[in-house]
Amino acid sequence: MAMMVDETISDFDCYASLSTPTTTITTTTTTTCSSSEEDHGCTWNEWSPVFDWDAFSGGDNFQDLIESMIQGSGNCFHNSEEDSAEIMEEEEESGDSNNNQSEDINGLKLVHLLMAAAEALTGVNKSRELARVILVRLKELASPNGSTNMERLAAHFTDALQALLDGAASGTLHAKHMFSPNYKDEHHQGDVLAAFQLLQDMSPFVKFGHFTANQAIFESVTHDRRVHIVDYDIMEGIQWASLMQALVSRKDGPPTPHLRITALSRSGSGRRSFGTVQETGRRLTAFAASIGQPFSFHHCRLDSDEIFKPTNLKLVRGEALIINCMLHLPHFSYRASDSVTSFLSGSKTLNPRLVTLVEEELRPIGDEEGFVGRFMDTLHHYSALYDSLEAGFPLQSRARALVERVFLGPRITGSLARIYRARGEEERCSWGEWLSGVGFCESNISFANHCQAKLLLGLFNDGYRVEEIGTNKLVLGWKSRRLLSASIWTTMDIDL
Amino acid sequence: MNSHDRPMCVQGDSGLVLTTDPKPRLRWTVELHERFVDAVTQLGGPDKATPKTIMRVMGVKGLTLYHLKSHLQKFRLGKQPHKEFNDHSVKDGDRATSLELQRNSASSSGMIGRNMNEMQMEVQRRLHEQLEVQRHLQLRIEAQGKYMQTILEKACQTLGGEENMALPTRTFKGIGNHQGGLIPDISAAFKEFGTPPLTFSSFQDLNICGEHIDLHAQSSMGERSSSFDGFMNLSNTTTDHNLSLGKKRSSPYNTSNGKSPFMWSDDFRLHELGSNNEDDHQIIQMERSCNPEIDSVSDIYESKPLLQDEKKFDAKLERPSPRRAAQVSSLSAQGGRNSVFG
Repeated sequence: MAMMVDETISDFDCYASLSTPTTTITTTTTTTCSSSEEDHGCTWNEWSPVFDWDAFSGGDNFQDLIESMIQGSGNCFHNSEEDSAEIMEEEEESGDSNNNQSEDINGLKLVHLLMAAAEALTGVNKSRELARVILVRLKELASPNGSTNMERLAAHFTDALQALLDGAASGTLHAKHMFSPNYKDEHHQGDVLAAFQLLQDMSPFVKFGHFTANQAIFESVTHDRRVHIVDYDIMEGIQWASLMQALVSRKDGPPTPHLRITALSRSGSGRRSFGTVQETGRRLTAFAASIGQPFSFHHCRLDSDEIFKPTNLKLVRGEALIINCMLHLPHFSYRASDSVTSFLSGSKTLNPRLVTLVEEELRPIGDEEGFVGRFMDTLHHYSALYDSLEAGFPLQSRARALVERVFLGPRITGSLARIYRARGEEERCSWGEWLSGVGFCESNISFANHCQAKLLLGLFNDGYRVEEIGTNKLVLGWKSRRLLSASIWTTMDIDL
Repeated sequence: MNSHDRPMCVQGDSGLVLTTDPKPRLRWTVELHERFVDAVTQLGGPDKATPKTIMRVMGVKGLTLYHLKSHLQKFRLGKQPHKEFNDHSVKDGDRATSLELQRNSASSSGMIGRNMNEMQMEVQRRLHEQLEVQRHLQLRIEAQGKYMQTILEKACQTLGGEENMALPTRTFKGIGNHQGGLIPDISAAFKEFGTPPLTFSSFQDLNICGEHIDLHAQSSMGERSSSFDGFMNLSNTTTDHNLSLGKKRSSPYNTSNGKSPFMWSDDFRLHELGSNNEDDHQIIQMERSCNPEIDSVSDIYESKPLLQDEKKFDAKLERPSPRRAAQVSSLSAQGGRNSVFG
């Protein structure tokens, strides 16, 4: 018990003394840091626990933070001592409350370190060296195979920050580099497939996005004989399986309409774990044949700049045109915003019947909070995601670690790269808002659609909930955090 | 104001009155109806107005086109001669009242009767719709599952084809090492979906070629809600080819820890039985040799007891029996593991 207290204090102290911006102390710290940098096993615990709080009265950003840490840890110490007394008296599971306390302390430590690293990277007193050192410490504390959610989450965020640091240092922080799907392609195909299967089984995100979009599409084409869907990022094509099933078995309106799907394919996307777009097309064609759905598949190649040109599409008269844009499902790669913009604005010129959009739901952050604010929000977002996986499958931590490593880790990297690039710029609105701004109209989410979403979530954990926002958006959330939104848009006012 | 009329109604945030049935539906109150009529009049009458425009004019949150469509239709019908109206919607007790009201204003004509009938119809309609949605959802999830299978089959073939059919004497450890770094992650990940020792006994008692549906019925464990059980049955009914393999069908999700029901290969179940059944060891070996890489995934369903019995495992391998051989050959006849992922 005493040991733990000492260690924690000295850890906090080290951190505290590192983070001060006051000049005198900074120089001292810098020297110490640089020496410790070479020695990655820098013995933090040997640093003196005694330091001069008065030096912090300069009103720096970290004073409150440090105080809260100390208070937090103070409380923890108090509690754990109490607990230990209780334990000895009551002979309860001895290690348990202590473990919880230390887990909380560790979690708190990690969060604070991450925040400090983010601050060091981009804050007013930014210092790459400081960031580097903090990241070293984080790597010591957090591993991607750790036992707690927070630890694994922190490990992935650490990697992401490291990538930012390296990129910024070498000046090669290009959007492409950070956004490239190569992160995922590095994984073995078997890994990716296994993780995808797990992701689908453990969480409703993928199904929610697909089913909500499909239901809206299905409802809008009730009287059509030909349907043409342009899919921005078809991936493995699983979304269309359930739509085909719905179309084949529909009772009202004309018999099964002919379905045509045009998928955008990107050149130079590297080895894709789900095969190329052509392979997806073959799979879809075979599946359609197996259930009796008239089907044809096309793909529209994007150039290396990934800008969409509507003229490249083949359109047929009399077909109902649907634009499908799945953006932030957990297993998707990040797409550069230029590409998405070109796709959506190009779509507008085609006057589609419907636009289905699925994107992650992030809290709009004011610019005054800057990178650190958005960083913390991203941390909160992914923390909720991790929690949602854990709640459904508390014992399968290895399985979750696999999903986290294969999909969520790269997404975290992509997210941070995006907000890093956007720092100092105006807060970016969601794609839904963007659509609204360029003239798309909201289309309604039907009762059936909402009902379906609720039923779907009911199959998973209680903590998931679906909200209807406005008239055209369903948002999937975990507890109090919104995670994924599915919205429906149209170009013209159609009188019913 | 509206909520005291009937105890079963609650007033939502949007000002709409909804019932407290499990499936809340809209109640057309007097106030709401008046707004509706105002909107319709503004737009030039019930024939000119459309649900979409009415919705915009009314500006009531939570009111959907669905609500308005049906209400508008009734409203249009309601403006027909009184004779029709009386025949359709008004009950005896209300007829006098409704006739009076009709004379008063077109907007409130037969409103009371209309509301009552509407309620009935609404209830039925909503009920029906929810059931439909549920049914469709199941079908759609099944379709997705089938599609997922095609992906995994293809991948299995691609990956498995790279390795030759290994001899059955390949050891457990040998395969693990052979595949290198890939294995620990996946196998560790999936290991967690294996059964704890507690549930072994129930599976041991069962016939190896037994119906998987029975297993589902038997499994009562799990903190999962029953909807998941329904799901498990659902997903397993689609794995037809699993049935044809004549293997033990239990889904790993009958356990108290694993929750996800979809499409895990039932063949993996064998691993859990392995420690108690010689034949299964041999079968496991065959499985692995068919698809060495994916079989790392099949390591997944190693439960702890099996791991501890590794030594026993190796020993058993060296004692072929006619029965085992027969089973092995039946396995090899099945070819590549189509259902590796379920």
